[in-house]
Formats: sequence, structure tokens, C-alpha cells
Amino acid sequence: MLWRIDASPGKATTWTLSWFLFIAGIAGYFYASHNRHLENPDDKVIPTLNQLAEGLSNAFLKPDSEEAAPEDLANASLATKFFTSMLWTDTLASAKRFLWAMLLLIPAVFLGLHMGMFPVIGQLFLRFILFFDKIVALSVLPILFIAFGIDELSKVMLIVIGVTPTIILDTFNLTKSVPREQIVKGFTLGAHDFGVTYRIVMKQILPRVLNSIRLNLKAVMLFLFAGEMIASQDGLAFRIALLRRHMGMNVIIPYVLWVALLLFLVDLGMKVANKRLHPWFREA
Amino acid sequence: MSKLIELEDICVIYPVHGQAPKTVLAGLHLDIQRGEFIAVCGQTGCGKSTMLRLILGAEAPTSGRVLIEGEVLPRPDRNRGYVPQKYSLFPDKTVLDNITFGPEMEEFNILGRLTPRFFKRRTELRETAHALLQQMGLDPSDAHKYPDQLSGGMQQRVAIAQALIMRPKILLMDEAFSALDPTTRSGMQRLLRTLWAETGTTILFVTHNLNEALYLGTRVVVLGKQNSQGSSRVIADLSVPADARTDDGQLRRDVLDRLIHQVEQAGEPQLAEAYS
Repeated sequence: MLWRIDASPGKATTWTLSWFLFIAGIAGYFYASHNRHLENPDDKVIPTLNQLAEGLSNAFLKPDSEEAAPEDLANASLATKFFTSMLWTDTLASAKRFLWAMLLLIPAVFLGLHMGMFPVIGQLFLRFILFFDKIVALSVLPILFIAFGIDELSKVMLIVIGVTPTIILDTFNLTKSVPREQIVKGFTLGAHDFGVTYRIVMKQILPRVLNSIRLNLKAVMLFLFAGEMIASQDGLAFRIALLRRHMGMNVIIPYVLWVALLLFLVDLGMKVANKRLHPWFREA
Repeated sequence: MSKLIELEDICVIYPVHGQAPKTVLAGLHLDIQRGEFIAVCGQTGCGKSTMLRLILGAEAPTSGRVLIEGEVLPRPDRNRGYVPQKYSLFPDKTVLDNITFGPEMEEFNILGRLTPRFFKRRTELRETAHALLQQMGLDPSDAHKYPDQLSGGMQQRVAIAQALIMRPKILLMDEAFSALDPTTRSGMQRLLRTLWAETGTTILFVTHNLNEALYLGTRVVVLGKQNSQGSSRVIADLSVPADARTDDGQLRRDVLDRLIHQVEQAGEPQLAEAYS
């Protein structure tokens, strides 16, 4: 019986069930779009397939209309068109901020590791980080804009403030969860404090830390988008916010799907890298 | 023989949240000579593992002194090998890397690992590790496996090899065989006896099993409760003659009777009954 808790659906059932909501969603979208366009052929709220294709072409193959286009772009190759396109320029701008934020997570991991290993460092930082973690990052956005201006720094700082406390605390807890026996064992094998910290504990928690960062990717993107939507001249979220004013749903929808695809690829990349780098690691 | 370990009037008290502090060990005295194989027995919670951790340096006594070769050593070091019941191997390292970890850690710092000498030494260490694996009865094909791909018995064999490659003065084993099935366990006991005879390392072996203690130890120490507060001390301490260890008939029975007598004399009739 399919509805019992001990049911084991076959391959075909599993495939059908897992794709059902996607297909239903797409079908529902085009049904609604068709009905709206019967009433108003110029409707922009739920674009048709043709409108979406036009939006996609504009986003993927044309530069930002507000920027001066290269003169010979009409005869340029598809690749050249793509790499000068609005979508690509926005992706690069957002990716740069995203990478900066990711790089700034590395010190967070080291801080969490040292807090977990060295009681003095733990006592110095733990209460402060716990307090910091409770601050809603978006609520300090005005302070960030005042303190750091509306340039790149404030946007990167927003991501850092929003995500680093979680990563620090996650790393701290993971460090603390390493069995005491392993640390004692390290000492009996001639390791000193830093040997135990880096060669035993860090190596054991690294795959879990990477998983924690993976799970926080969406939060990173959330803060990045918040920053870009409020004060930016470029970036994926800037474009979405800009197009919202013009009801440019035919470009917004491809942008949203593009962001989801990018995030999925980053997540997949990290997952594969984690598996390759730590073949011993078995996820619970 | 000279004294290697001295436990002088050891008292260990743990704070308990919202309750009175718990005294685990009180007035514990024990001298251990170089080359002895001490089997430590006692009921659950009597402080056997605490005593082991004190000797290891992983824990400090509330009062009293633990002397290793006449010195107080405040933290674990390379001279005291350790084989716990669980988490005895590093899960992120292969069997070979687990075994060679200690000497590599001791001989080379992070920059030293970039020198040609490191790679040469690493090859030598891997050969030694292979020889140790063979001595432990493990297959060479196991060398590149991760700990979770090994059975419990195999993991403990690797853990012993990992400790022995450091040539420690003392090997501390905390219920190292208790999770093993009876066949694997008796194989491991024989192996440990052979290794002890070959290396002469001083071994402290904590076990619940009195038969195991009598088979392995040159001396059996029993910890037991001494008062209503539940703190423990040594209630029986008996040398086991070599012929009694190998003979599981009358000779061992005699040693057991003497041990039970000591436990009774110390006011632990229930434990004595359990042992008999």
C-alpha cells in the first residue's frame, strides 16, 4: 500500500512523484498566463513563453541598455554577446561580493576552531559572539551604510555580520564535539597544542564545517541581495529591483531561475569537493 | 625493578551541579614497577578509568600526587601510550597514516614536511607500520582502509600498533577489548601478552572481567568502595605467578581464591561473591 509508512515506492513512482509538483507548477503557470493574455494581450504580470524568450534573449545576449554598447556587437559571436550581456555583468558583480564574503568566512572558521580548542579564547569570545548572533543583520544595515558608505564594503559587511556568527558558533560546537579521547591520543602521539588543533581536530571537523557553510549559502545570498537591492549600481538583485519598477517579469523570472541555478551549482560543487577531499567522511 | 609510577594519597572529587560534590577516589596509594602488567578491576563507577586518566595526565587529582619516574607530569605525552575503548583511531586517516602519525608528528614540523628527508623517513615509517600490521595479524590490504571500514577487533589492533610505534614507557588501555566478541577478545589477549613479553612495556589494563585480568596481569589490582560516600581505593592487590596465568585450572583458582579473600577482608562481600 502506497500510503503506509513502510511503503517502498518503485522507481517509476518515485520519478513521477518527484517531478509531479514541477510539472504541475509549470502547467499552472502557463494556464494562468494564457487566461490573463486572453483578457489583456499586453499583460506583463505572467509573461507568455514568447515574452519569456524575448526577456531571456535580452538578458543573455544584450548589454544593459543604459550602458554604451560595443559598436560591432551585432556581428559578434554568441559567446561575445553573452559575456557582454546584462546578465553576465550582473552575475560577475554579485559573484565578486559573494566571493569576498566567502573568503571572510575562513577567519570565522579559524576563530570557532580556536574558541573550541583553547578555553581562554573561548571564554573571551563566546558570550560576545552569542550576543552578536542574536542581532538581526538587516536591522544594522542603516548603521553599515552610515559607517562604511554605500559602496561594496557595507554590502560585504552585511553578509559577514549576518553569517559569520553562525559559522563561528557551528565550528565551535563541532570542535567541542570531537571526543576527548582523540585529543588525549594526539598528545600521547607526540603532538603539541597546534598539532592537535590543526592535524587532528581541524581535519575531523572540516567536512562538517563545509556542510555548515553549504547550508548557510542561502543566507549569504539573502544578505547579498538585500544589500544590492537597497544600494547598488549593478548585481543580480539590483537588476531584479530595477526591473520590478518596469514590471519586467519576463526578465525577472529568468534572473530568479538563474540565481537558483547558480546557487545549486555552488552547492553541488562544494558537495562534490567535500566528498573528494574527505573520502572518509560519512554524512549522518 | 624500579618504581615507574607512584600514586600518592590520591583524592578525586567531581563537582555535581545542584548536588554535593562526588568523591570518586580517596586515599589511593599505588606503586607500579617498570615492566609490570597491571590489570585493574572493580565495579562500574569505582574509578578505574579515572585512575588511568590520572596516570595518563589527562586529569589532575584534587589532592595527592601522580609521579612518573619521580616527576609530576601535568599532561599526556609520548611516553604514555593510550588505547581507549572507543575513538581509538583518527577517522580521517587510513590505517597506515594512523600508525605513522605519531613519529611523523614528533620528528617533523610543518616546514620539515616539505623537505626530501621527510619523504625518505616517511617511506621508512611506512615499512615499520607494515611490519607492525603484520605482527598484529592484519592483512597488508587493510593498510589503506579507513577505520570505519575495519571491524572492532581490527581497529583495536591498529590502535595498539599506533601506540607501540612510539615505544612508550607505559601503555594505558581502558577497557580496550570490552566491545569485542569473545573469539576476537581472546585472540587480542594472546596478542597483547606476546607483545608485552617482547617489548617489556609497562602496561595498565582496565577491565571488568576478572578472568581476563588474571590471564593478562602480572599483578591484579581491585578498586572498591570504602565508605558510604562511595569513594574508592585499592581493596585488593595481588601478584599473579607466571604459571597461574597460563594454567586455567587449580593454580589460577588458588590465585582467585586469595583475591576474593582480600576483597572480603576489605569489606566488599558483594563484590567477593560476584567474583566467586
